[in-house]
Amino acid sequence: MAMLDTPTLKENIDQETVDKVRALDVDKYKYGFETLIESDVAPKGLNEDIVRMISAKKEEPEWMLEWRLEAFRRWQTMEEPSWAKVSYPKIDFQEISYYAAPKTTAGPKSLAEVDPELLATYEKLGIPLKEQEILAGVEGATGETATPYGGNVAVDAVFDSVSVVTTFREELAKHGIIFCSISEAVREHPELVKKYLGSVVPVTDNYYATLNSAVFTDGSFVFIPKGVRCPMELSTYFRINEKNTGQFERTLIIAEEESYVSYLEGCTAPMRDENQLHAAVVELVALDDAEIKYSTVQNWYPGDKNGKGGIYNFVTKRGDCRGHRSKISWTQVETGSAITWKYPSCILRGDESRGEFYSIAISNGHQQIDSGTKMRHLGKNTTSRIISKGIAAGFSDNTYRGLVSAHAKAKGARNFTQCDSLLIGDKCGAHTVPYIESHNSSAVFEHEATTSKISDDQMFYCQQRGLSEEEAVALIVNGFVRDVLQQLPMEFMVETQKLISISLEGSVG
Amino acid sequence: MRQTMPVRLSTAEETLIEQLKSLGNEAEAERISVAGLPTRRVESYHYTDLKTLLKAMPPLAAPANEASAPALRVPGAYQLMIANGAVQSAGTAPAGVIVETSEGTSLSTRDDVLVHLNGAMAKQSLNLTLEGTVDCPLQIDRRIEGAAAHSASSARVFVADNAKATIIETCSGSKAAHVGNHASYVSLGKNATLTHITVDLSAEEATHFSTTEYELAEGSKLRSLVIHAGADLARSQVFARFAGEGAHADFTGLNMVDDGQHRDITLDVHHAVPNTTSKETFKQIARGRSKAVFQGRIVVARDAQKVDGKMMMQGLMLSDEAQILSKPELEIYADDVVCGHGSTCGHIDEVSMFYLMSRGIPKAEAQVMLVRGFLEELIEPIEGDELREALNGVIEGWLQGGIQ
Amino acid sequence: MTTPILEVRDLHVRVEDKDILKGVNLVLPPGEVHAIMGRNGSGKSTLSYVLAGKEDYEITGGDILLDGESILEMEPDERAAAGLFLAFQYPVEVPGVATMTFLKAAINAQRKARGEAEVTTPEFMRLVKDAGSRLNIDSAMLKRPLNVGFSGGEKKRAEILQMELLQPKLCVMDETDSGLDIDALQVVANGVNSMRSSERSMLVITHYQRLLNHIVPDVVHVFSDGKVVESGDKSLALELEAKGYAAYEKDVA
Repeated sequence: MAMLDTPTLKENIDQETVDKVRALDVDKYKYGFETLIESDVAPKGLNEDIVRMISAKKEEPEWMLEWRLEAFRRWQTMEEPSWAKVSYPKIDFQEISYYAAPKTTAGPKSLAEVDPELLATYEKLGIPLKEQEILAGVEGATGETATPYGGNVAVDAVFDSVSVVTTFREELAKHGIIFCSISEAVREHPELVKKYLGSVVPVTDNYYATLNSAVFTDGSFVFIPKGVRCPMELSTYFRINEKNTGQFERTLIIAEEESYVSYLEGCTAPMRDENQLHAAVVELVALDDAEIKYSTVQNWYPGDKNGKGGIYNFVTKRGDCRGHRSKISWTQVETGSAITWKYPSCILRGDESRGEFYSIAISNGHQQIDSGTKMRHLGKNTTSRIISKGIAAGFSDNTYRGLVSAHAKAKGARNFTQCDSLLIGDKCGAHTVPYIESHNSSAVFEHEATTSKISDDQMFYCQQRGLSEEEAVALIVNGFVRDVLQQLPMEFMVETQKLISISLEGSVG
Repeated sequence: MRQTMPVRLSTAEETLIEQLKSLGNEAEAERISVAGLPTRRVESYHYTDLKTLLKAMPPLAAPANEASAPALRVPGAYQLMIANGAVQSAGTAPAGVIVETSEGTSLSTRDDVLVHLNGAMAKQSLNLTLEGTVDCPLQIDRRIEGAAAHSASSARVFVADNAKATIIETCSGSKAAHVGNHASYVSLGKNATLTHITVDLSAEEATHFSTTEYELAEGSKLRSLVIHAGADLARSQVFARFAGEGAHADFTGLNMVDDGQHRDITLDVHHAVPNTTSKETFKQIARGRSKAVFQGRIVVARDAQKVDGKMMMQGLMLSDEAQILSKPELEIYADDVVCGHGSTCGHIDEVSMFYLMSRGIPKAEAQVMLVRGFLEELIEPIEGDELREALNGVIEGWLQGGIQ
Repeated sequence: MTTPILEVRDLHVRVEDKDILKGVNLVLPPGEVHAIMGRNGSGKSTLSYVLAGKEDYEITGGDILLDGESILEMEPDERAAAGLFLAFQYPVEVPGVATMTFLKAAINAQRKARGEAEVTTPEFMRLVKDAGSRLNIDSAMLKRPLNVGFSGGEKKRAEILQMELLQPKLCVMDETDSGLDIDALQVVANGVNSMRSSERSMLVITHYQRLLNHIVPDVVHVFSDGKVVESGDKSLALELEAKGYAAYEKDVA
């Protein structure tokens, strides 16, 4: 019982729900988590002892510890990259606690405001995760609760997610699908983790990825066996909300031959995270004829109107189309974070493999976004498509940075890129930095970019029909990003449209 | 704690440092000894890693004793020559042209290694002041003569208010592994009109660096064309700044690259004031095992409203081993603008090839025909039949050099 | 006396230091249809934009009253909610926004502004379908982005569709006949005529008399050099057609 008595649950969740949750096979993962809540706050700073401590807390085997230590040693020799068009005070990596405990002190008041909807979802264990996500997400997205409810809800949510995921696990297990935390995967499926972890984003890849390799605390692991079409959309929503796993999250998704999975990463809660730095790594592997669709809606705390606070989001996401005719599709909606440094990429290794990148990046206030993709064509007749829509408002800077390259052996490679930027106001900046590298004559690349503003005529027309200035901007922007919106799963699409309006609040007038 | 490791210097870099010291430029020598020549980590040299590409550095140029045959002579043009960095005496200048010389380089103090080196090495600048309508084209014939030499040259052009002129610059010289570093500063007065063409025809073994700075005053009109048709390693940099409203410029370029060569055109257009427009059109053709690079950036400053900028890069690959690398950038800080860029890269359209061949045109000829068509939009707007013919000759010469 | 729907009092408007409207006076009682005729550049379109509240126009004198209240300080959307509708001469393209989505957003924005409940989806669909069928607008067209790639006729029909759905008090139609062939003109005119009612007024701005054969006005005003120079009944339009504008302009001079 002690395990369930986290301070946030007591008052608002009815006993039946708690019983239901408890009745489910809640495993060691939560015990580990519980220990965390009670006591574990690592001292500030990073050294080998901290890495050892993280590994020990996760009850990891020796090889995993070695892997982390190797990453840590490598990281010490590396320098923080400076090429992105973002500026921020130098991060003191020794001032960060790499094992921060969740905040559990905020009162139930905020929970009470959120709870009816979350409760409803508790009672409906077994409904698709994505639906719950919408409930929680829309709630957060519409900003109806003024109180920051970071820590508490995160705990609840994690608590909840463990159970929900467990429920689904039985269903998933029938298909041979593994969906669990990466920590658990390290213990339970070492052969898969050993084979694939770091095979897409090597330990030495870049400063933040190497740091993540040394200190990642949790994340998701997905394995779809050969020939299986995952029967539901998998989501990482609740895990993300867990404070200590959000910081250095590690996700690994493997789709074996002829399999399919759609994965949703929703950072839709207005997370008021104390931790400034998020350095996640996501690795995707698609074997022959497999398809992975990865969608993200990122709405981390962007800082206040003066540019104070907010998340530094330095993420390495990469998919490896290892098999022939495999396909990886990234869709992202980036509206949060003070700084975003993120380039979800595809290595098109298998012949006839396909990579896609659809992005909406909205910056307002003092946000800085430097985001884009890399499409590396290595196999024959590989194709890729990039549609990027950047919207800059306020005092923000919004940069698309992308690479398209065709190796000499990538005969018949094709790419189409469309990057459009929209400026709202005259204090922001929109930039486009594409790197286009063709190393063989049969490759055909097409790239188009435009920068413009919302025309006065469009505004006047919409207002003449009765839309307010802000409604008109939101409507026109939604039209501008339509090509990308259509790539999102239905539930995300609705939510994203609302998110766009909210993100642009105060950008006109 | 991390330590900054001193860079390992190449032989070329060491020679360069010695040369700078011998010129009494300790500061520049020090800069190179600490940082070396730029590598791909330096963003503006991302595709042209000078440290690796510049294999050797020939001795500093001595005054030229003899002159090789001109690589290109535009009929009817007023000829000016700079040989091994020294301005040669010329015939009587046509009406509206004032020819002078001054000490040192013409370039600004931009933070770029090639600009720094030109500043350290150029002893003399050719200064041209153009007034009224200058009837004949002016040709600035830059040569590096004699044995392989490291040579810098410099020119400064003032196009007076309301003046109109055409300038063609050519770089060539004796057949040796020269390293040339050429500079031009071109300023357009109010409502001035200028066509400025630079053609590199350096020897196959040579390295060609050139930097052109443009400053455009109110209402001025510029057409700029850079053609790469020589040198083993070439990099032409164009930096333009719109300083007056109502100015317009067409920046164009043709980067033709052959087996074993590496040629780079880098363009940076800065719209500093409102109501200015630019159109950038660049074409790259690569054959054999070669590398063609285009970097282009349009910057629109804060409050530079109503700017219109359109950049297009088209690459054509004529062989499997060729590489075409491009980086068209937009950096926009004003909202009421219309800017865009496009980039395409591919091979000769097979349908067109088939169509021409089905009409009985042999393959090689059909290819040349299509490539010529591809390049037409760069040459066609140049005024003056003889000038256009001369430029077509350069292109023809390259094309006949062997399309596989 | 009933309050006019629209009253324009000695309206003076300047654009970039140039006086465009030089003292316009108009009174539109409820239920009446007035036509404004004038040659290009006479300031007709400026009047329509100023009525709808477009920026960039400096009002140097006079007033505009809608239902007896001055609307000069109101934003375009507030004027729309108050019942003013402008059918544009050149309807604006809004890429990516489906016509249907736009229509619903507009209806709900206006309802919200008036403190009314939002339209339900089935109700909205019924409204659109009914109005659409009268104007030869099918559902495929409504799914397309607003005005993007619409032909001239389609754009004008879409404007009238919006007018029907929004049920304004005052319809201002700026050169609604331009770019229409005779069949399309008939369809549009039928749409407009079906909306004539005792509570609604219309201001039809046109260059040619032919539109007025289909939409018969109660009053015709001749517009020249930024003001009304002559007013009369519908026969004035025919007279104007016969004599030409010059005859009336001379009167002024």
